[in-house]
Amino acid sequence: MKQFFQSNLLLIAMLLLPGLMLGQRTVSGTVTDADNGDPLIGVNVVVMGAESTGAITDFDGKFSVNVPEGFEKLLFTYTGFADQEVAIDGRSTIDVQLTSGIDIEEVIVIGYGTVKKEDKTGSVDVVNSEDFNTGAISGPQDLLTGKVAGVNISTTSGEPGRGAQIRIRGGTSFSASNEPLFVVDGVPFSNDGNPGSRNPLNFMNPNDIESVTVLKDASATAIYGSRAANGVIIITTKKGVAGAKPSINYDGYFSTRILTSELTNLNAEQFRNFVTFADPSRLESLGTANTDWYDEMTESAMGHSHSLSLTGGAANMGYRVSLGYQKFDGVVTPASNENVNLGFSLNQNMFDDRLKMNLNYKGGYTRDVFDPGLIWAAWTFDPTQPVLDPENTDFGGYFEHGVSLAPRNPVSAANQIESFGKSFRNLASFDAQYEIIDGLSVKINYGVDYNSGGFRKFEPTTYLNTQISDRNGNIFIQDYVRSSQLVEITGNYNKTIGEQHDIGLLAGYSWQDFRFDEPQLTAFDLATDIFGFDNIGVADEFDARTFSSRNRLISFFGRANYAFANRYLVTVSLRADGSTRFGDENKWGIFPSAAVAWKILEEPFAAGLTNIFSDLKLRVGYGKIGNQEIGDFGYLPTYQLSDGMTQFQFGDEFVTTARPNAYDANLKWEETTNYNIGLDFGFANGRVNGSIEYYFKDTKDLLATVPVPAGTNLSDRVLTNIGQIQNQGIELTLSTIVLDIKDLRWDVNANAAWNKNEVKAISSITSSGILTGGISGGVGNNVQIIQVGQPINSFYLFEHLLDGSGNPLADGIDHNDDGSVDLADMYADLNGDGMVNEEDRRAYKKPTPDLLLGFSSNVSYKEFDLSFTLRGGIGGYVYDNNASSRGYFNHLSLNPAYNNNIHASALVTNFQDPQFFSDYYLQNGSFMRLENISLGYNVPNIGDRTLRLYVSGQNLFVLTNYTGIDPEVENGIDQTPFPRTKGIIFGVSLGL
Amino acid sequence: MKSSFYKLIVFLLVFATACTDLDLQPGGSAVPGVFFEDEASYRQFIARVYSGLAVTGQQGPAGAADISSLDEGFSNYLRQYWQLQELTTEEAVIAWGDVGLPQLHNHTWTSSNQFVNAMYYRIFFQISMANEFLRESTTDKLNERGVSAAIQDDVRHFRAEARFLRALSYWHGIDLFGNVPFYTEDTAIGSDPPRQGSRQEVFDFIISELNAIEADMMEPGMNEYGRADKGALWMLQAKVLLNAEVYTGTGRYADALAAVNNIIASGQYALEDNYANLFLADNNNSGELIFSIPFDGERTQTWGGMTYLVHAPIGGSMDAVAESVFGVNGGWFGLRTTSTLPNLFPDPNAFPDARALFWTDGQTIDIPEGGISNFNNGYGIQKYKNVTSQGELGSDLTHPDNDFPMFRLADAYLMYVECFVRGGGGDAGTAVGYINMLRERAYGNANGNIEEADLDLDFILAERGRELYWEGHRRTDRIRFGQFSDNGIWPWKGGVPEGQITESYRDLLPIPAAELLANPNLQQNEGY
Repeated sequence: MKQFFQSNLLLIAMLLLPGLMLGQRTVSGTVTDADNGDPLIGVNVVVMGAESTGAITDFDGKFSVNVPEGFEKLLFTYTGFADQEVAIDGRSTIDVQLTSGIDIEEVIVIGYGTVKKEDKTGSVDVVNSEDFNTGAISGPQDLLTGKVAGVNISTTSGEPGRGAQIRIRGGTSFSASNEPLFVVDGVPFSNDGNPGSRNPLNFMNPNDIESVTVLKDASATAIYGSRAANGVIIITTKKGVAGAKPSINYDGYFSTRILTSELTNLNAEQFRNFVTFADPSRLESLGTANTDWYDEMTESAMGHSHSLSLTGGAANMGYRVSLGYQKFDGVVTPASNENVNLGFSLNQNMFDDRLKMNLNYKGGYTRDVFDPGLIWAAWTFDPTQPVLDPENTDFGGYFEHGVSLAPRNPVSAANQIESFGKSFRNLASFDAQYEIIDGLSVKINYGVDYNSGGFRKFEPTTYLNTQISDRNGNIFIQDYVRSSQLVEITGNYNKTIGEQHDIGLLAGYSWQDFRFDEPQLTAFDLATDIFGFDNIGVADEFDARTFSSRNRLISFFGRANYAFANRYLVTVSLRADGSTRFGDENKWGIFPSAAVAWKILEEPFAAGLTNIFSDLKLRVGYGKIGNQEIGDFGYLPTYQLSDGMTQFQFGDEFVTTARPNAYDANLKWEETTNYNIGLDFGFANGRVNGSIEYYFKDTKDLLATVPVPAGTNLSDRVLTNIGQIQNQGIELTLSTIVLDIKDLRWDVNANAAWNKNEVKAISSITSSGILTGGISGGVGNNVQIIQVGQPINSFYLFEHLLDGSGNPLADGIDHNDDGSVDLADMYADLNGDGMVNEEDRRAYKKPTPDLLLGFSSNVSYKEFDLSFTLRGGIGGYVYDNNASSRGYFNHLSLNPAYNNNIHASALVTNFQDPQFFSDYYLQNGSFMRLENISLGYNVPNIGDRTLRLYVSGQNLFVLTNYTGIDPEVENGIDQTPFPRTKGIIFGVSLGL
Repeated sequence: MKSSFYKLIVFLLVFATACTDLDLQPGGSAVPGVFFEDEASYRQFIARVYSGLAVTGQQGPAGAADISSLDEGFSNYLRQYWQLQELTTEEAVIAWGDVGLPQLHNHTWTSSNQFVNAMYYRIFFQISMANEFLRESTTDKLNERGVSAAIQDDVRHFRAEARFLRALSYWHGIDLFGNVPFYTEDTAIGSDPPRQGSRQEVFDFIISELNAIEADMMEPGMNEYGRADKGALWMLQAKVLLNAEVYTGTGRYADALAAVNNIIASGQYALEDNYANLFLADNNNSGELIFSIPFDGERTQTWGGMTYLVHAPIGGSMDAVAESVFGVNGGWFGLRTTSTLPNLFPDPNAFPDARALFWTDGQTIDIPEGGISNFNNGYGIQKYKNVTSQGELGSDLTHPDNDFPMFRLADAYLMYVECFVRGGGGDAGTAVGYINMLRERAYGNANGNIEEADLDLDFILAERGRELYWEGHRRTDRIRFGQFSDNGIWPWKGGVPEGQITESYRDLLPIPAAELLANPNLQQNEGY
């Protein structure tokens, strides 16, 4: 097998670059670590003066390189180790020891370029593949969870293949997106969702990712201008290396996942007792079954993942091909997620490396099967009713209440509804860089992102019929294409003047065009169920509509770096972004930045410090960045036509109507000004490294949809620029080699980030604020507020008075003996005006944690290694909407036609009616989660090959005082998300 | 060679332009320059000013919402107008506990009540739509766009109708909120917040507008169904003038009577033979309707409007017969009435007065302590049913075909009688005759007829209740009769089972708190 690949590769190499194999000799040897004698894998070995010729050490540290006639030196380079030049001196075997050392010349990727890690001026963190989270990784975002200070990646559901909410240093916006910009191999791309998949990032195989760079402060992100306000995540994929031997890697695992917890509703027996107590007249309407609806809907979920890659190179070129397959079942039937990924990259250098070309392709086909979204029914459905009712043939033999407003039998829905999405996403890019003269190069980059797919849902007449709906069976078909194209031209100039001055210049132009098209078809009143989606011709009624949108971004940008004596570093950048989302007056936004860094240890006066410190660098940065992630054409007056169901009758004609939409002709960029100060440090000979940073972000002209005075526009709310918020915080990162003695090494990484968010101004509303945080239960109920002086989305509730034993006072009782039963009996008169009304609700606590913590440990001993990642959030609060929307007695009897189960909290509170605005439901959601723990074994003595076996646990525990299911919920409101899971995986990695 | 060099230059210029081209046009909607190229656009636009009374957005039954302060289905113009006019009186209670909803019957609404707010924003959405239509259809603009003479003539009528619809909403505005933001088509989009017009000033504006547009409105019964004509205009005139004393302190009963007489004299309207047919799925055929809001099960859908008015009153034992009796697929277990309404009738079972369309099976007439949320307390009402007068089902089981009878001849008759009693002229014989026409239709014979001696204000208020209950008139009527807040008691008024009076400032609703903050020119109504 190996030979097959090798010989083919040889063939390719020979086709591409014939005639290079003449007049050569072979030099081979082993490269080891000078500290411990371990072989070093992947060391670059090149022939000096003929850099296109070289090799890479294999898993035993061995290399073999063909040295052309007339060349006498080899250069060994390896990340984290000092470079070494070795004269050949006529030898054919050369063993080399490399020293890991302080002069780490790690190069990190930044916007439109790279920088030596020691020369970075902004707040930039890199996570390399060896530090990624392991285990069941469903998308690129999972690789980073808990790894970077100030980057909060929280998953709020246990859905297979779900995405995550990513917040870098706190959200900056009300209505525009708070998600960072993703850049993959130089292509900024849309992370907008699509109807075909749960997470648009799933097209990418996590195993294809080499490193992820997180740009956090504006001095680093401003080069991305208008899309950088929430930080930038740069993904660099793995590439082949010129001259490397071909190698094949396989990674695979099997996983099993189970629920983390049960629901807090009543079981059938408790429910019967409750009805006997609360409303005996309803006893006769109870069934005789004992159904645990949650249990009926869920099961343990299996998954498996396989990833195969082939990488290698010939002289001047490297290639990598990868194939991935993942299939995860969900704990709620029939949810599942399936991904097939294909990756390909080819890099080729020509003309003595003056021309460098890269071709990259990442493609993925994903298929997501969706559950019917009836988790809430498990909470509510009468547990005394059976799953099946063979008599009930109208509903396929399932039990149903058969009333239009009643909850549906979730098992019937899971078994009868078919609902899935498919997505085929292709990200392809080509770039070519040519060095015109030494130091001056031009690069052209073309990228295309083409994502097409669709969503299908079929509800048979035995599920949806005229007993409970106006439709008799329903088919929904939705197709979409989301695409973007990028053209970018950049020029680069680097020059060292004299001994002391290093200059780097960058100038660029970028054009990116985004399109989205989505036709939809609904077909209903089906003559038969037998065809499923496949034959909409059996439908009697149709409803079709289309959506499309388009926007474009054109940019000019530049950056200058200057370093004096390798001691003082200055970076300034400027980007001008033109966007189709704003009117003529505001189309262009200008985003400048500046940063300086001072390498203190390079100062003559700091010579004494080098005994203690291995690194000491002070960084100060400033930048202005924007946000334009709003809908299109908000600045234009437009007319929107009605569909076929909102026409208006004039005589015998139904006239399609046209509505002028609200608009704000003066809509402009949301702007964030960001200041950052950071200190990078290292001591104990580089065994302890870290940084501490303080940042301040001031966002003004916030884009938000807000109430406007009647008469000034064409709706009650308009998307406009309003208000100001500020975020400030401190971040601490530490990475330590705790132990490094023969056979035993222990690395620890820890990070902590504290963030404070405050709304500073809302332009049109000054006192009461804007209500947010919609909850379920009733309509139009909000439990959060955006209020000046408070964190964004603070909870806005009454303070519930407690009885002697600490329980909230129940409703319907005249607790204060004033002769009337009203709010004053339960809630505190916070404004002291002698009555309790709406004005006694107060902004109190907020959903986001004050403090985020991450802790990773990795111990390796001989062939074994053990690693884990802990992640925590302190100070965030959660409103338990599961309890508030069902935890009251009358939830039982909302409808005479059926009974509803209740939340067990009602037995404690004795609430008769819902108390949505009680702070009884607000709880501290601080938590510490074991994200993953992994034990691995590297099989020794298998020659050229590597084999690693591992077992890993995911989300094995969460420490929290929160009494609901899980404290990490979207926006702090716990509303029956897809249940959380914990799991075990068994995996194997094989290298050939 | 030269030409190819020239071509290259042009190509490069075009290319350079393309490199900085940021002019994109929307795909799914049209900018005015594109939209008004089609002469049908004016008809489409005026239809939208009308449909603001019926639907909530550009997608049925919900989607692409017009206003977003409230759940879209809740935000429907008719639904909110109906709720504020009915739930605040003896005619209706609702079981649901949505925040702010129980406050309506309890007379405890505040300036943050989402239903009051929704009505407020709906009214000004309508006025803004009408203003925008008037701005976009001036003769100058039509000429500029080269609109044909035939269409220009249509647009003349459309403009009058836009002003009619604006006057209608301004009437709702001053009736519900008193002094309101006052602006016309002269106030452009994006300008400073409008000033507050006094009730008197806006009242004068409504009257002058109605006079000004009369010539351009179609003759009664001559316009297409669904569009307003002179009959609708006179009816609006009559209603505004009848309440003039409430709005301005000066009665205008003689002027109101004149408007009523115009309607009757037109000869275009006649009482429907069967009272119940006025509210059924084919009520568009009725000669009694003067102005209605059309709905259609397939073409005009909403979660408010008639969908709400047919579904929400169904519950209890009605639910089992939702399809066979009411023509819909299920009840929403919401609306019933207090005992005051059935007690206006000799018997709740439509005998001998056929207007008593109560549902008593499984329902108690009284609503005990804590009983509003239980649908079985209080009689149900089976007025709006999605079946035709021939007993056929409407075209859709969720969205009814019924049109809402906003103005009908019986109301004109009752206004005649009231103007007469209040000293606005007319004669007793005619007044008694009109009442007896309504009562003979209700009784099927002359047994319910009255005499001149029976005619007094109390009788009129009661008779308006019997004839027009659940048609969106009650709050305005009670205020005109001084029987809404500090006078008049019905069960659960003021939040107690037996009812209690409330403070007189509740004759007006509060301007939304958010609006006061957004528009510093506005002053809140007294008491809030």
